[in-house]
Amino acid sequence: MTEKMSILVVDDERIVRESFLHWFRKYGCKTEAAASGLEALEKLDRYPFDLLFVDIKMPGMDGLELLERVKQQYPEAIVIIITAYGSIDTAVKAMKMGASDYLLKPFQPDQLSLVLEKVANQKRLVSEVQYMKGRLEEITRFDNIIGQSRPMQEVFDLIPQVAQSDASVLLVGETGTGKELVAKAIHAKSKRSALPFIAINCGAIPDSLLESELFGHQKGAFTGADHPRKGLFVVVSGGTLFLDEIGEVSPKMQVDLLRVLEEKKIMKIGDRVPIAVDFRLISATRRDLEQEVSRGAFREDLFYRVHVITITIPPLRERKDDIPLLAEHFLRKYSRQTAKQVDRIDSEAMRTLKSYDWPGNVRELENAIERAVVLSKSRLLRAPDFSFLSAGPVAELKPRSLRELEKAHVLRILEECDWNVTQASKTLDIHRATLHKMMKRLGLRKP
Amino acid sequence: MNAPMNRIGVIALGEVPDLIPQSIAAHIQGMLHAEVDVLPPLALPSGAFDQGRLQYSASLLLQHLETLSLGLCTKVLAVLDADLFVPIFSHVVGEAQQGGKHALVSLYRLKTHGVESPSELSLVMERAAKVALHELGHLYDLHHCTDPSCLMHFAGGVEDLDKTFMDYCNYCRVFLRDALLRERAQPDEDE
Repeated sequence: MTEKMSILVVDDERIVRESFLHWFRKYGCKTEAAASGLEALEKLDRYPFDLLFVDIKMPGMDGLELLERVKQQYPEAIVIIITAYGSIDTAVKAMKMGASDYLLKPFQPDQLSLVLEKVANQKRLVSEVQYMKGRLEEITRFDNIIGQSRPMQEVFDLIPQVAQSDASVLLVGETGTGKELVAKAIHAKSKRSALPFIAINCGAIPDSLLESELFGHQKGAFTGADHPRKGLFVVVSGGTLFLDEIGEVSPKMQVDLLRVLEEKKIMKIGDRVPIAVDFRLISATRRDLEQEVSRGAFREDLFYRVHVITITIPPLRERKDDIPLLAEHFLRKYSRQTAKQVDRIDSEAMRTLKSYDWPGNVRELENAIERAVVLSKSRLLRAPDFSFLSAGPVAELKPRSLRELEKAHVLRILEECDWNVTQASKTLDIHRATLHKMMKRLGLRKP
Repeated sequence: MNAPMNRIGVIALGEVPDLIPQSIAAHIQGMLHAEVDVLPPLALPSGAFDQGRLQYSASLLLQHLETLSLGLCTKVLAVLDADLFVPIFSHVVGEAQQGGKHALVSLYRLKTHGVESPSELSLVMERAAKVALHELGHLYDLHHCTDPSCLMHFAGGVEDLDKTFMDYCNYCRVFLRDALLRERAQPDEDE
């Protein structure tokens, strides 16, 4: 049995609608009918029909207008035009506008059957292509790191270059910016890609446990060490070790890490036999490590070891142009996962998403889309579906330094003025040239 | 075991060779192991004739059958030698109420040459039996099948019909058997 299609019949004649409904019941298809173009659009808004049979001549919105609207709003829907003799020219026009086929009323029984067969094949091919694209996305190395904005393009350019070397990399960015994804992409592009990638969040593990996790231990090394255990430095063996939130590790652990990086040897807890280790280190932090060094919270020698190469991942509020792309990506992801058939975000909702500051960055955006998809009763996400964002801490930007505060404010004004420097400088009450210098100093460029 | 039987009626509407309802009844009996009654023929209701299309409206004929009292039959197949239509199609050779009680079989387009020679009659009988078993499948809520050799496969014309076997595919056979058993398990409304 083939996969059943969902069909919407749009015809102002009740007898024709009923005849279609009766016929498609024999195929076990989910079939609904609409008496007008407007009713059809309402039904499409609620349910993603695979196939539409649309009569050309209808009062009010005619079949061609409906076809145009459907192709604009639901391009994946397959439309078959139904027409009477004498309107072949219109049928041809409909085909040019994106209709997949047309049927002349009344049609031979096998004509409808052939159209259904053709559409089923088309749908199967589309599903296969979508599946393959999904698979490709899964195995593509830059999967989930999405962005066309200039700051992200710079990150993308750096990844393959950095991957070629074996130097330690420090990823700097706020929580939720996708540091681990960048780390994975570097690993995937490196010569170590066939070997393990192990990620550990240093900030989430108590110091004693982190030591045992990284170095391993001998049996009886401490209370509860009933069995010997290999540490991640050994398990990763030739691969990449990703230490997230490296700025959170204790001073003692900093010493241990430094020794490993210098000597490329470790000793298990409770053991005196050195074991040679080979791994590539990628660290990440949301802190300003340089500042941490200057205030004595992070060892300078370790800092120089881990930040041979630094990649800064911009917060989402500094690359708002990527929001539509990311939102669409997460929408597809959660529509698939939840089988909710939510597949569009209207322009007002997109404006809401773009105007929000996203203190939790891409992760917060992903969570917001997931929540909206789960709670949505329509296949279209509208601004009210994101009302929880406006209720939330929009202004919770929490810049940690004067420079950050300055940068955030200048960026906001520039965005409000659509990057018109003259206008922005008037709002900021500074000279145009000063603003230019400020933008250069703060690394602000029109996206 | 005195399990109640599925009782199917076959009735001719208008002029139909006697052999055809009998042949259809025999095929149903053999295939479904149901009790089949060949009911006394009735005239074709003139009200179901569409003057514009010069064909009989399948939906009006089915409505007409609903008004008749046709014994204890749980399903009724009416056979007629007239051209049938439904609004969206130029013609149909059979029509059934999906999951309902009444169905139609038209012989009009099952004839190849329109000659009533013995071989032609035999061919028409075979095709009519196939259409009848297909429509009966719909009465038992079976859907169109993708297996081109199955009786429940949609046949657009006699060429397609001749390609199907006089049998249901394994899946449709199981679905039909389940439906027949469900019907037998239902209390008899007439008792």
